[in-house]
Amino acid sequence: MTPAIEMKGITKDFASTRVRANDHVDFSVEPGEVHALVGENGAGKTTLMSILYGLIKPDSGEIFIDSQKIRIDHPNDAIQHGIGMVHQHFKLVPSFTVAQNILLGMEPTQAGLLNQQQENELVAALAEKYNLPVDPTARVRDLPVGMQQRVEILKVLERKAKILILDEPTAVLTPQEVNELVTVIRGLSRLGYTVIFITHKLVEVMSVADRVSVMRGGKMIGTKKVSETSIPELARMMVGREVLLRVKKKEMQRGDVVLEARDISISDVNGLAAISHVSFQVHRGEIVGIAGVSGNGQTELVEAISGMNSLDGGEILFKGKIIDEASVGERRDMGMAHIPEDRMVVGLNLQTTLDENLIVSRYDDSQFSRYGFLLMKTISEFAEKVVRAFSIAAARPGEGIATLSGGNLQKVVVGRELSGDPAFIIANQPTRGLDVGSIEFVHKTLVEERDKGAGILLVSVELDEVMALSDRILVLYRGRIQGELDAATATEEEVGILMAGGNLQDLKYAQRADQQELRS
Amino acid sequence: MNNQRWKKLLDAILVPVLAVLSGLVVMGILILTLNKPVLESYAILFSNGFGCKEYGNCIFLTTLERATPLILTGLSAVVAFRSGMFSIGQEGQYLLGAAAAAWLGYAIHLPPILHAPVLLIAGMLVGAAYGWFPGVLRVKLGVNELLSTIMLNSIAALIVEYLVQFPMRADTSAVAHSPVIDESAQLMSFFPGSKWGVGFVLAVIAVIVVYIYLWRTKSGYEQRMAGQSRRFALFGGILSDRAAIRAMLISGALAGLAGAIEVMGVHRRIMTGFSVGLGFDGLTTAILGQVHPFGVFIVAILFSGLKLGAQIGLQLNLNIPRELGGTIIGFIILFVAAGKLYEENIVRAREWATRRRSSRLKRESG
Repeated sequence: MTPAIEMKGITKDFASTRVRANDHVDFSVEPGEVHALVGENGAGKTTLMSILYGLIKPDSGEIFIDSQKIRIDHPNDAIQHGIGMVHQHFKLVPSFTVAQNILLGMEPTQAGLLNQQQENELVAALAEKYNLPVDPTARVRDLPVGMQQRVEILKVLERKAKILILDEPTAVLTPQEVNELVTVIRGLSRLGYTVIFITHKLVEVMSVADRVSVMRGGKMIGTKKVSETSIPELARMMVGREVLLRVKKKEMQRGDVVLEARDISISDVNGLAAISHVSFQVHRGEIVGIAGVSGNGQTELVEAISGMNSLDGGEILFKGKIIDEASVGERRDMGMAHIPEDRMVVGLNLQTTLDENLIVSRYDDSQFSRYGFLLMKTISEFAEKVVRAFSIAAARPGEGIATLSGGNLQKVVVGRELSGDPAFIIANQPTRGLDVGSIEFVHKTLVEERDKGAGILLVSVELDEVMALSDRILVLYRGRIQGELDAATATEEEVGILMAGGNLQDLKYAQRADQQELRS
Repeated sequence: MNNQRWKKLLDAILVPVLAVLSGLVVMGILILTLNKPVLESYAILFSNGFGCKEYGNCIFLTTLERATPLILTGLSAVVAFRSGMFSIGQEGQYLLGAAAAAWLGYAIHLPPILHAPVLLIAGMLVGAAYGWFPGVLRVKLGVNELLSTIMLNSIAALIVEYLVQFPMRADTSAVAHSPVIDESAQLMSFFPGSKWGVGFVLAVIAVIVVYIYLWRTKSGYEQRMAGQSRRFALFGGILSDRAAIRAMLISGALAGLAGAIEVMGVHRRIMTGFSVGLGFDGLTTAILGQVHPFGVFIVAILFSGLKLGAQIGLQLNLNIPRELGGTIIGFIILFVAAGKLYEENIVRAREWATRRRSSRLKRESG
């Protein structure tokens, strides 16, 4: 079979950063297959696909489509050749309707006039054809992220693409939306479409792809059939060494209670109840995992504990003292650390230097300032220490951090939060968007802190992460604790049913019914 | 490391320099259309803006004198912008600071060692109070500081106009003005016949103090972090509201100081039409100076020189209307606003240069 796409010897240097993003990369995709392209952040996946889509010009190399050598200088050329791309950050007009977005620039007109009715019908027919139901009249800004992505896919299909490039399509989705997307991709592949799927989540690769190509440091490491490979092997190819997918944990040394929530209630930005009457304790030396589907009150809970938002009722005790009135700074001075879910906007200030990012929670210390003046020398020594201790490869004291990769940025956050021996750490989605190597690092570091005697509240929507790290699991559902489980004995089914709002009794009945069915 | 720092500095000044050069090229074209000698007009522009004919009688000294209030209002905008407050209230703060200094200059009588400092401090306090108001409105009630400061500028202009016309009016001359301030309250100038003096030194000190404050003190750090990312500041434990109000106080004080110095060092009184848009020019100076104290210092001098050269030099020597000076400055602002154009071309030029270098190396080694 002739490959649908063949890229040969693609090389691209970025002069401004002196990085060889693609180094003689060969890449080929069979027609009708789902081909995963994996690699760590900065491995060159997106560069390679941007070259294929005409967004970047390669320094050298050739591209063939159906064995025909072609030139792609501009996305228009790519679309001409049936290549469509769905970007990680959607390119939709929020105030337009679904139909207006999908038909943008190719609207059917009569005597130069638009016909809204006809547009809606066209899009409804399109959605029907590909079995991707959408409401053509809905405004894009009102749609959930998963729906917006569907609009992007329809937009590409409407432009007669036969080859779809999806750039990290699952990074922004909830687990349910991921499942729906997997079904969509499988359906497209059955209809004869070729899908290239960029990701660094290996579980998804195994569930959706036919073949997988691995990139590392701008080079193509190899291509495998998914049926003939495994997650550990792919992880090894991606990182270039053996990776611990599950951290090893020592026996828990449980200490005193370090943080206690007593009957707390919190409202969200719209004034609606996000957390209602929740109580729990976190001890020193233990990791308490908060599992739950995103949007069940996790953000509000974390903001209230860290002091970024206030409580409606109840009280929070830290080291035995009520801290309801304490400011963020006072809580931090008492030994609270916080790894926030959004490192780009909350956890870091990308407009300033590494040094200034590292001192935000402790510039008031006598170590870093005296008589109101910052002690620049100590600060840059501290920055150097953090860079070394957390091996933040690309970061240099005194320089900006905007160009660092996601993994390195998270290392900056983790480095800042964990230097200074915190007594209690909130880790909210600490590995979101990170590659295997960085996830391993963050997990290892958190477990080390636990072993040193810190209490950790781990909030994550990734079930695997909660299961792997926690000593105790609390499941949050619609602002209440749906159940508490001992992580050593809990099963994924148990956590799953609690996350969906059920309770453990239901599960037992279901299992008993299953067994009876088997017997009869 | 050092190399990096030089490169950064070069990047910072390259865009404004290219913008000024483009503005001058446009000026040449405009002069050409007037059928006047282009090269000669450049020479006159520079000798009348930045030149020096004899010791102690320099036009450049006048440029520096004109630059003094511009430096201070520019710094005022820098402090506000860096702290995330888009305050354009410099004009109003400047006017009220000037009125306060002018009033205390003739209404009270103190020995020289006290009188001048009292006036300077009064100007700063009044300016600070006038900056504090929109700051509090913003923090407590969420009133957009851009809008409130515009309104407050108009209010201040009318208040000062009233003061000069009625309570502070010295005589019934055609142009309303206040009495001349006491000699003890006047700022010394360095050369007879020029008004370039102590005020300029104060402005230079302010440049250095603002730089140290913003980048070397805890308070400055808080203000910049709160200005760049409020979420980040909140997360780190910085009290953004307090930082914002502090920024408005300092910003107001600097603009008020500019007003006081202009009264004490240049006019010795306040009169109707006292501000000729100095507050707004300060705003432009801050933006062209890359919102940096040193940038403001350079741009303020450059601006004042261009204005003098174009307005006086070209008009007197070549009969070119003085409005041309304003036109050139307008073009320069336009070119800086289009800074992206230069940045992209600079990057392209650099890439081209490195590619050439690497291909040459390849050829030599191959």
